[in-house]
Parts: sequence; structure tokens; C-alpha cells
Amino acid sequence: MTWPDTTLARARDIIARYPEPRSAVMPLLYVAMRHDGRLTDEGMRQVAALTGMTAVQVESVASFYSMYKRHVGSHVVSVCTSISCHLLGGRDVLAAVSDATGVPAGETSADGSVTIESVECIGACGGAPAVQVDYELIEGVTPDKGAELCRWLMTAHPEVVHGDDLQTRFGGRRSFPAGPPDPVGAMGPYPAFGPLGTTGGEA
Amino acid sequence: MSDPIKLTVDGREVTAPGGQLLIKAAEEHGTYIPRFCWHPRMKPVGMCRMCLVEVEGPRGKVLVTSCTTPVAEGMVVHTKSDVVKKAQEGVLEFLLVNHPLDCPVCDKGGECPLQDQTLSHGPGESRFVEEKRHFEKPIAISELVMLDRERCILCARCTRFSDEISGDPLIEFIDRGNHTQINTFPDEPFASYFSGNTVQICPVGALTATPYRFRARPWDLEAVESTCPQCSVGCRVSVQASQNQVLRLIGVDVDATNQGWLCDKGRFAFEHLRAPARLSTPLVRGADGELHEAGWGEALDLIASRIGAVIAERGPAAVAGLGGARSTNEEAYAFGKLLRGVLGTGNLDASLGDDPGAALLAGVPHRATIDDLERAKTILVWGPDLKEELPVLHLRVRRAATALGADVVVVHPRATGLDRDAAHVVRYRPGEGAATLQRLAAGEGDLAAVRAALDTGPVVAIVGRTGLAESADLADAVAAFALTLADAKVMPVARRGNVLGAIDMGVHPHLLPGRVAASDAAARAALAAAWGCAVAVPGRDTSGILSGMADGSIAAVLLLGCDPVADHPDRKAAAAAFDKAPFLVSLDLFLNESNRTADVVLPVDTFTEVEGTMTNLEGRVQKSNRIVPGVGASRPVVEILEDLAARLGGSIGAGAAAIAKEIALVAPAYAAVSWEALDWGRGRDGIVVAEGPFTHTPERRATDPSVGALTLHLGRVLYDGGTMITAGPSLARLAPEPAAHLHPDDASRLGFAAGDRVTVTGNAGSAAMAVAIDPTLARGTVYLPFNLGASIGNGLEVKVEK
Ligand code: SF4
Ligand code: SF4
Ligand code: FES
Ligand code: FES
Repeated sequence: MTWPDTTLARARDIIARYPEPRSAVMPLLYVAMRHDGRLTDEGMRQVAALTGMTAVQVESVASFYSMYKRHVGSHVVSVCTSISCHLLGGRDVLAAVSDATGVPAGETSADGSVTIESVECIGACGGAPAVQVDYELIEGVTPDKGAELCRWLMTAHPEVVHGDDLQTRFGGRRSFPAGPPDPVGAMGPYPAFGPLGTTGGEA
Repeated sequence: MSDPIKLTVDGREVTAPGGQLLIKAAEEHGTYIPRFCWHPRMKPVGMCRMCLVEVEGPRGKVLVTSCTTPVAEGMVVHTKSDVVKKAQEGVLEFLLVNHPLDCPVCDKGGECPLQDQTLSHGPGESRFVEEKRHFEKPIAISELVMLDRERCILCARCTRFSDEISGDPLIEFIDRGNHTQINTFPDEPFASYFSGNTVQICPVGALTATPYRFRARPWDLEAVESTCPQCSVGCRVSVQASQNQVLRLIGVDVDATNQGWLCDKGRFAFEHLRAPARLSTPLVRGADGELHEAGWGEALDLIASRIGAVIAERGPAAVAGLGGARSTNEEAYAFGKLLRGVLGTGNLDASLGDDPGAALLAGVPHRATIDDLERAKTILVWGPDLKEELPVLHLRVRRAATALGADVVVVHPRATGLDRDAAHVVRYRPGEGAATLQRLAAGEGDLAAVRAALDTGPVVAIVGRTGLAESADLADAVAAFALTLADAKVMPVARRGNVLGAIDMGVHPHLLPGRVAASDAAARAALAAAWGCAVAVPGRDTSGILSGMADGSIAAVLLLGCDPVADHPDRKAAAAAFDKAPFLVSLDLFLNESNRTADVVLPVDTFTEVEGTMTNLEGRVQKSNRIVPGVGASRPVVEILEDLAARLGGSIGAGAAAIAKEIALVAPAYAAVSWEALDWGRGRDGIVVAEGPFTHTPERRATDPSVGALTLHLGRVLYDGGTMITAGPSLARLAPEPAAHLHPDDASRLGFAAGDRVTVTGNAGSAAMAVAIDPTLARGTVYLPFNLGASIGNGLEVKVEK
């Protein structure tokens, strides 16, 4: 076991929520990404040891889902290019983002700070074009704002990205008026998911 | 399965047990539905869609996968309609979308379900013009198995086998979706003891085994059914050979024993048959002290005259015989008859002191069959790690636990292959077995729940030596306890292939052929009448023979396929005995540690080269058959022994077939066994011999010795330093390095870390090796695998020092 005790304790808390340890494999894969910044063989081995699965069984799950990433920068910028976003300029946003970072969709900037990807509908069609940074949503993004967002990520190296904050700084028109404020932010290229301990600020 | 129901298949009304799968019900009535993923020994998945059939329903006919659809009353099924044919063509067209069609260079070509079903059910032409998927081909996913992902049709047979059946899921689908492929985890190869089964059941040439790759085309192979001799499970195999060379073994599905599976040791341990080191001519020690090639006449004359001289000078009690546990029953019987009858000595033993004792093996009351595991509610395993010693029995116990709902109780000094599927696991230190048994029997403390579990019958207790440092009395005591349980049967287990058969053939100082006590004068007289010569009174067992060799009272020894210096748990005593250099004759395949000092070494024909029978651990007699000749001048054991007997003025019978008939006449337990029945009749799946007349009531006489802070657990691993493993290139490289395994608490108390070089000292020597940390070990135990090149004796006392 190479994980620190706090991480192991968190993993065991998650396992305890399920009748079978192996049912915890998916949240634990995020814990593994949280630990290493990306999905590694060592992380999958660790998840396997904790769930009583073999490492290849864990890999079988992990390699099915695109959000468990083996190669990823410090932040992942996902630009929606599905139909609504496409119609409202999603492609242009993607092009601007690629320009600003110097990498095409699917790749990671040379300094390792951001990964750019184009994704299918992320459920924000009303606020198209939409972008996510570490799965924190920003709606109504223009090409210029998208490029600015990337430059900020690459120079400021934020520890935490926070949806409400990103929306204010880089977003435009939203699908719905703002709901209650969401204080949870993401600390890396995996979703901010309170129960996993990946919330902003927490170790 | 419930009451029979009626359904209509292609217009014919048939009956099938309710709940049976349609694909199977149809097959049992002569309608074969094509399939790739369905396998009768595994749960259905409906993965390949090849088995589509039309079933009439309230809204018309619908296509369903017959491998996932249970039969129902009144069901009307069409397996050959136009719609079904169209569906089959479509499925095959899709299955071939990415297939490389490299049949000419594929080992499966000629026996490939994909090839065959494409011919019989395929569309003939494909509409796909797109580029196919490409993968590096083939990749080695273990030392034994190669994977060609381009040929894989994603049927999940291999993954299901390794998950459901063998319980070591080291291969899986990854990148599932458009890019699905079978693979292993990086740096974690498919190192399963059962990997060869996936090669056998893969319906295409995606999985191939290195020992067979590019060695033959299937249509050039001849096959014969036989019995695996590598351990006492006695799996049925099809031995396949070409040009007088065995090229592969395939598991045969026998319901009562292996259910189609083999372990990799059994499957691949044929390479030694043509190993360069195999003996192909008799060897006689010359005046220069070296072994020289000799003719049969010269070698046998020498043996006869030297043994004759020993008997003339010192009497027959100065002659002894060891071995037979790897031979056929006919060979063992001939060996026993030569020793007891022709030579007149009662010093003979097939067991090498590493089993739970011949009395328990041959005489246990209420012996369990392997198939009793199908009905058992509770299974007690207090013996070897079955996965390491009797692998396919391990699969059967695993099946009982995972598929049939039995509760398994494992008692062992360290983790065994069954622990993960066991309801209860009890750890104890070797040397504390009797106390542990007492606590278990009384249900004391933490063992109360375990004891309670054992009250649910039927119980099958698998009993043997957990390791070689522990006393054999413990197995007897465990058997005695097990027999007090409700509705209990006992399965005493020992590893070597035909050890029970050899004991049954009378290769034991206290037993005559057919489980008859040798102390019974009337029985000896009856046997003497049948043999036409006197039958020796009981003599010495293996340890008595070894001490007799050491003190000079035994002056001539015959070894039949037996290497006590390597295999006896007390190697030092064995080596000391062999150092004394009595007149030593060895019938064997290879030179080994014991026969290097022999005066005469005779090359013998073996598995696949002789016809005969073997008796597995249940007492099931099965046929072994011949398909290739031996090597060079090697000869069948029975013929060698008959020639020797003739030179000594006696006879043991002319040929194995005649001996088999004699066994049925003189050995009461074997009266019902005949080659004809085994080959052609009711005995195709073997004949379980009757119990008795010798019976043994197990006793609770085990007591614990007083041992120090550390005790030795001398366990076995599947791939060890045995000659049949080391002589074949494929298996030889699988044997692990010897290591001293310690519990982490003991390691830190003693100041050792994993990988530290230490000296381990037992009652008969020291050896240097690395430390391995094993948190599953009972505390205070040093686990050392036996026969991996490090030998320290088999006493419980052990020391580990820097
Ligand atoms: S390798 Fe063979 S058995 Fe395994 S999924 Fe592919 S075709 Fe099926
Ligand atoms: S379990 Fe024993 S009998 Fe069966 S294949 Fe393996 S070695 Fe041979
Ligand atoms: S199409 Fe972009 S969010 Fe739905
Ligand atoms: S055999 Fe039925 S779907 Fe494969």
C-alpha cells in the first residue's frame, strides 16, 4: 500500500458504504486519480487490493469510462461540440482553446498544465456553448473567453477550480438563473465530489 | 431443474427438464445449434449471438439467444428457418468484420469453430470493405499462453473461465466499446495454474499454448484417451501425437472427475517424454566406477546374479523395493509380485513418507468420491493446499463453494487457494495441530462458529498432510474427528499419481494386492496358491528400508520410478542410506539424485507409451493408453520385471494385459475391474473399487511435540524441482525460487525485511535463501516450499539467522 493513511481511511469509508467492496471500484478510481493526478497502474493496483479484485478487472472498468484518464494535465478543459453547442459556436470555442494552448483536442499542453478535449453533450444545452474545467461547468463561453480561461489556467496554476467563480469570470448567458451557491470546487482532473474528499481545500 | 416439460423444436415434440437452457435441450435431442460463447460448464452470457433461434410468442416469432433462454412448456422453436439462417449469416458477417482470416498460419485451423461455422452457416461473402482493427500479434500473456487479439471474437469464454471456474481473473476485456480487447494488466501476466483450459475452450485461434504452437496441423494428430499421471486426481485426457511424438494433451469432460478441465502441470508435462536427458539404454556401472551403456541381457544378468547372491548369502530380507506410486497398477503389481513372491521379501513400499499413511489412504471407512462434493453442504479441507498439489480437485471444491452453495472450512498454516471462497478459515502453527483439532472439536472460543458449521451435513472432509514437517498422525486424527460429524465422508489425499493404486497392488509391507492385510496367514496362503510361490511375510516400510540401507542390513534395493533422496521429506536420512551404496537397481526415465549411485539403471516406457490402469484418490480405476513408443531401447516395466523374474527362477506374468486379468482374480477390491469395461463399457468414466477388505479406523492419537518460537511449514508448490517438470522446457522455468516466508510480525521481531538473505537451519541442514513476507502465515511459522533446491530436513524446529 503506497497511499497515505488519510487516503486509505477515505477509501475504506467509501468501501463501507457498499455491501460488497468491489462495488466501490468507481469512486475509488477517483481517489486513485486524486492521489496521483491521473490514473496510474499503481493506483489501479491499489484499488484492486482494496476491493479484492485483480488489477486487470479494475482496468477493465477504468478503461471503459473516459473520465478515468491515464494521460492528463493538471486540469482538463472539455469543450462541448454536440448539437446545441455546435449550432451556437462550440467548434469555434474549441479552435480558440486549441490556439491558446497550442494543442489539438485530445492532447495535453507541453507544460502539462491543461488537457483539451471535445466532448458530447454535457447537459447545458440551454447555456450553449458550454465548457467544463475539471467537470466544473461554465455556460455561454465565447471563443475569446475560452482562450482567456486557458491562459489563466496555464499561468495561475489554480489549486482549486470553482464553477460559480469560473462562470462569473469566463461565462455568459446561463440555461437557468443561478441556483444556490455551490461552494465545492475541483482540485484536479476529476469531479469535485464531496464524499470522495475531493472538495476544494480538503486534503 | 424441475419437472419435465414439452416443447417443439423444428416441428418435433421433445421433452426437457424445466429450466434447462434451450441450446442444451435441443442438443440433447439431436439438434445442434451453432455457438461460440456458450460452454456447458460455465454460466451463459449471450455474448456472441450465434445461437439465435426463433421462438413463437404471442406477438409472433422472435429471435432469441438459445443459450440464455430456458425451455418453457409449449414453447415452439425454429432453429433452421429462413429468418434464423439470415440472422446466423449476419452474426458471422459481423464476427468476421475485424477477423484477419489468417487461417493458413493459425494453429486452430482445421479444428476451429469459427472456421467450421462460417462454412456451415456463414454468408460466403462480406460486405465490409473497411480497414480491420490491428494489434501487435501475438503477445505473450504468460510463459505458456500467447494471445492474438486480431483473431479474438470477444466471446468471454476465457475471462469467464478464469473468473468463474479457476478464480484467478488475470485476463479481462479492456478498452471496452469499439476497441474492446482481451488483455492482462501490465506486469501482471496470466500466471494461472489453469491457463491451458482457456486455450482449449477459445473458439478461435486467439489463445495458443507455446508448447504446441506450430507443431502440428490438427488433421495430422492421432489421439487416444488416457489418464493424467501427474497427481492423484486422475483427470481424463486425450493424448494427441504425431510422428511418434506427443504434442498436446486435451481435457476430456468426465462428469465425476475433471469435468473437462486440466491443470497446466498435467496439460504440459509431456515435454519430458522426449527430453534429451531421458534414458534410452540400460546403464551398468563399470569397473571404473562410471555408468556405461549396456545391453538388456547384460544388465538383467548382472541384476539377477547380484540379487541372487545377496539372497543366497543374507536371505531375502536383505532385499527391498521402493516405488510404484508413479507406475500403472499393472507395473506396481508386477513389482510387488517380484519382491514378495519371486524374491521373497516383505520389504517394499510405494509411499515415501510424505502422505497421510497407507492405512488411512487405503482403509478409510466412508470414503468420499469427488462427486460427493456436488452434494456436500459442508466441506472441511485440512490437508495440503489443493491448488498446489491436486489442482483440479481444488476446482471441484471451488465449484462446490461458489456455484453449489457449500460452506468450505479450510484449516492450514497459511493462505490457500481456497481461502477466498471459504466460509471459515482457521490458521494454526505446524506442531499445534492436535491442540487446534481439540479446540475445533470442542468449538472453543473463536472456533465455535466453525464447529457449528460442521454440523450441517452432508460433510466431505478432505484430509491429508498440510506440510511435510507435521506428523502424519494428525491426518489420522482429523479423519477420526471428521467421521464423528453428521453424514460425513472422508477423502484422504496424497499427491503422487498412483500412490493409492500402488498400495492397492500390494506395494506396501502390510498390504497384499486388493487391500488385504499381509499379516493374515490365510490370505497369504491364498495368494501363494494363485501365484504358485510362497508369499513373504510383512517386512519393512520406507523408513525401515532407509535405516536398513544405512546400517547395512539391506544389501540390495530396487527402485521403481522413485527418487527418495529428492522426494523423501527426510532427505538427509535418504541421502545417508543411499551413500551406503547397497546394490542398487533403478527403473526410471532419468538419472536423478537417488540413482546416480546405482549399479544398474534401466530405461522404462511410461505414460503414453504403455497400457494399464491407474487408481485415483477416490479409488477410481481408469485406463491409461499407449499412443507412442518409448525412446531408444526403453522397455515396458512389466516386461523388464518378467525377464528379471525368469532369470531368478520365477514368473510374474506375461504382459500388462495378462497381469490386469490376474489382478481382478486375486485382488478382491478390484474384482469388478477389467480393461474391456474401462475401454468400452460401463467403465468409461472409471470404476470406483469396492472398499475393504482391509479397513482402518482412524484414531485420535496425535499429540503436539514441544516446539520453539519458530516452527517449519514445509509445503509443496505445483511447479517444483521434480524431474518431470525440470526436464520439460515450458514448465521448468515456472518453478519459483526457494524463500523463507515469515509473518510480518515475526520478520520485524527478528529484524528481517523482504529480500534479506538469511540462513535457515532445520533438523537436517541449513540453506541460504531470501526472506519473503507473508501476512497470511500463522505467527511463529517459517514457510519453506519443499523440493525447490533448498533442503533443511523436515523437523518442526527451525532457526532463521542473518
Ligand atoms: S481470446 Fe478466445 S476465448 Fe477469449 S474472448 Fe477471445 S475468442 Fe473468446
Ligand atoms: S489435477 Fe492432477 S490429474 Fe488433473 S491434470 Fe492436474 S496433475 Fe493431472
Ligand atoms: S450540446 Fe453542449 S451541452 Fe448539450
Ligand atoms: S452461444 Fe448464445 S450468444 Fe453466444
